[in-house]
Amino acid sequence: MKSFTTTRLVCAALFFLLLAGVTAHAAEADLKLEAQLILCSNDPQPQGRPVAPEIEKKLKRLPLKWQHYSVVSVQQFSVAKDESKPLVLGGSEIAVKNLGRERVELTLVGHGKITQSLRKGQTLVTNSNDESSLIVLRQVN
Amino acid sequence: MNQEQQLKLQAFLDGELPEREAREILAWTQRDGEAASLLAELKGTRQAMAKAELRLSVPTTREFFWSKIEREIQRLEPQATIAPDVSFSAALRRFLLPASALAALVIAGLVVHFHATPVAPVDTAGNDTPAVETTLASADATTYRDTSAGTTLVWFSDDTPAKAVKPTAIN
Repeated sequence: MKSFTTTRLVCAALFFLLLAGVTAHAAEADLKLEAQLILCSNDPQPQGRPVAPEIEKKLKRLPLKWQHYSVVSVQQFSVAKDESKPLVLGGSEIAVKNLGRERVELTLVGHGKITQSLRKGQTLVTNSNDESSLIVLRQVN
Repeated sequence: MNQEQQLKLQAFLDGELPEREAREILAWTQRDGEAASLLAELKGTRQAMAKAELRLSVPTTREFFWSKIEREIQRLEPQATIAPDVSFSAALRRFLLPASALAALVIAGLVVHFHATPVAPVDTAGNDTPAVETTLASADATTYRDTSAGTTLVWFSDDTPAKAVKPTAIN
């Protein structure tokens, strides 16, 4: 009886350890990201491709001078941990590095770099070389 | 006299009859000689048996008597549960099963320990404050965080005069 209980205890501990390992491994999996170049203006852009409603809502909450946003280009990509992905969005060169634990390092060539956690639902917005456009980075659902 | 009447007499003698029926039996024994003689015979037999009955008494108190029985049961119980013979293979299996699980646990722990990447310093502030570095010394970066929406805005600017139109706008 005693050995049976010990066995169950050890097996349960082993199970949870393996589960923790799998979870940790999942946390270190590739980050699937989406970078968007957003054109900003104060006039409606009926010809432009509208931004996703959740992004537009977030942009309108920011202290920006523009009222209207449209998508110029979208790039979806995966970045392995400790890997960096260079991208060109419009006239801006950027690089996104996966630092692990859902943290990214966004480098805007010529401007600087931002280190930020980017969990699902979080959005990182920065300006591009073009003064009337934004770069939006987020995780893909 | 039939058997039923004899049984009635026996019941009368034992006091098991209702009052009305007992009175009837009493009257009947006074009228009938055979019934009276049977009743007398039954009374005699009863008295004889009452005197002959042995009265047994326990030499100790009731509690002490039962406690002795209880102690004896407890003394005999371990002998009743004899441990079954365990074969060598069963004993080995009983030992190896937890031992192998424990060994696997240790190995898994070692693997996790030596293959885990160094954990980044925990953000003790518990927030997602971005770290921003500018490339040029003349450049500057302004950060705005909308925590409820989960949005971070980092605006890079140089030393040239701001072109902001909206007073509250950072761009």
